[in-house]
Amino acid sequence: MIGNHIRIALSSLRASKVRTALTTLGIIIGVTAITLVLALGEGAKQAVGQQINKRGSDVITVRPGKVERNEDGKITGYNLTAAIGATTITESDLRSVQDVPGVSKAAPIMLITGSVRDGETRAKSSAIVATSPALKDVANLELRYGQFLTDKTNRQTAIIGNELAVELYGTENALGRQLTLRNQPFTIIGILKKVDHAAIVTGFDYNKSAFVSLDAGKSFNQGIAQIQEISVIPADQKQSDQVAERIENVLLRNHDGEEDFAVIRSDEAVQIANSIFRLLISITTAIASISLIVGGIGIMNIMLVNVTERTREIGIRKAIGATNGSILSQFLIEAMLMSLTGGIIGIALAYLIAIFLSGFVGYLPALSAPILLIAFSVSLFVGIIFGIFPALRAARKDPIQALRQLP
Amino acid sequence: MAKEGSQEPVIQLQRLTKLFGHGDATTVALDNLDLVIQKGEFVAIMGPSGCGKTTLLNLLGLLDTPTHGEYLLDGKSAEDLSERQRAKVRRNQIGFIFQSFNLLNRMNIIENVTLPLTYKGMRRMKRLTKASELLKTFGLQEREYYMPNQMSGGQLQRVAIARALVNNPSIILADEPTGNLDTKSSEIIMKELSEIHQQGNTIIMVTHNPDLTVWADRIIHMVDGRIDRDSKYPQLPEDENAKRPLNHYSRSTVRTTKGNS
Repeated sequence: MIGNHIRIALSSLRASKVRTALTTLGIIIGVTAITLVLALGEGAKQAVGQQINKRGSDVITVRPGKVERNEDGKITGYNLTAAIGATTITESDLRSVQDVPGVSKAAPIMLITGSVRDGETRAKSSAIVATSPALKDVANLELRYGQFLTDKTNRQTAIIGNELAVELYGTENALGRQLTLRNQPFTIIGILKKVDHAAIVTGFDYNKSAFVSLDAGKSFNQGIAQIQEISVIPADQKQSDQVAERIENVLLRNHDGEEDFAVIRSDEAVQIANSIFRLLISITTAIASISLIVGGIGIMNIMLVNVTERTREIGIRKAIGATNGSILSQFLIEAMLMSLTGGIIGIALAYLIAIFLSGFVGYLPALSAPILLIAFSVSLFVGIIFGIFPALRAARKDPIQALRQLP
Repeated sequence: MAKEGSQEPVIQLQRLTKLFGHGDATTVALDNLDLVIQKGEFVAIMGPSGCGKTTLLNLLGLLDTPTHGEYLLDGKSAEDLSERQRAKVRRNQIGFIFQSFNLLNRMNIIENVTLPLTYKGMRRMKRLTKASELLKTFGLQEREYYMPNQMSGGQLQRVAIARALVNNPSIILADEPTGNLDTKSSEIIMKELSEIHQQGNTIIMVTHNPDLTVWADRIIHMVDGRIDRDSKYPQLPEDENAKRPLNHYSRSTVRTTKGNS
């Protein structure tokens, strides 16, 4: 019976090809939008997770702001306003962290707003990062040319990312060249190898940044170190939790018991990033769903027209023994076939667009089985929800009235 | 052969009334109708337009429900049947033949004939075989995969008859079966119906055409929702070659014209 309904539905859909195609288009657009949003969001989430893990799963990050934890110590919330407020982490905190037993290296990150230039050539979207020599080990940085900062290097020296080198000088080998940071001259003493991860929370791109000593950074900021992040690697990875706890205690003392900082482990950073992405994905999916609802209304509209046009057919079918249930199934299957076809085409289209977009967004959108399953189920659901009303209307037609309709 | 003498009431109507509309606008379509139809009868229902013929046929075919009165089909009250059971009865016990054929234009001939079997849940191959065998007896085997718009009116009505018969129903309800056909095609269709009747089927036919009543063995005249006259032809002898007054086409003539009409 179902097979027969599918055959009947296909033949009636084929009978009005343009109408079917336009109706299906509504679903295609909706499903494409939802699939793409989910795939891009999930892809971004995975990419960030991978970047954080590449940097090292044992890294402890100290950030301004406060994280909420439950009784088990799991993060339940993060105060995002801290990210845009003045930092609460000081140079004395850095020294305290460096002295915590079990800490191998601790590197500060002070982001400085300002231009990066070579003469008149100004680099786009580059960052100035004031830090310490420890960053090289903390962030697993390798040098293409020259050396990284040391305790002995001159205050007017800088290390740059390889993309910045190519942008300003047209070559990676920019050793010894002069660089202007916030209108002050610096000499390039090192160029980094390409780095495929970003800073955990501050998120700057190593490949496009210029690194200077903390002293040089302070000189841009009236002698004050505005540290946005301290990245710490413990001497023993297994002791990571204990070290984090010690750092927290030391900093609490420094801050007179005020918990205006957060000590976050790598896996927790992934968790924070995930929660932010989940929120963004939910919002964008909700917006994309509107187009699917519009598509569903299109299906309902066309199915209502179909029912009206085929009233006589309904009468004939009832006269020769079709039950209300048979008529309902027939029209419902027709609506579901339209929405499922739209769904499958939508998923395929989203996949193609995702491949195309991956060239621009810098990461691979995720088209995992759950996302495909969600997209497929949603299209099926739309078919049922928007097909049920016209199908019920068809099933409830009075056979005598229906047979009176002119052929 | 006609089984008029079998005296098994297949249809019994007791004080059957059908009203349409409400209040002042109420129209009486059937007025306290009493009727018994025996198994194997060929009944022609005549009468002017609006006398309630089609309403009666719709009630007998369980497409409609009476306002009052009782309808017993094969001795069982139709009143107690659910919508689903009524559909089942229509599927298994009743075959409809309409004036305008009422075939589904999207489907080819054989698919139209198999439709009642589809609702019965029969497997595709089995129902195609059965429909094909039936179409063969109507001389339409070569046109099985034609679409309805590729066939003549007479052929379409024969397909409709095949569809009505495919489930071996006990009653055939025909509403002006020759209304849209020329004289020659009408003769062929009536001959087919007569043959079906001879095989023991009960046929109830609504018609305006008095010439067609000669095929029936009972004629009911209706006026204003009541039975005005109910007359029976004398029972036929058990001879297959017995002819009706207007049945001037011989069996062989019918066979040769089938494929061409």
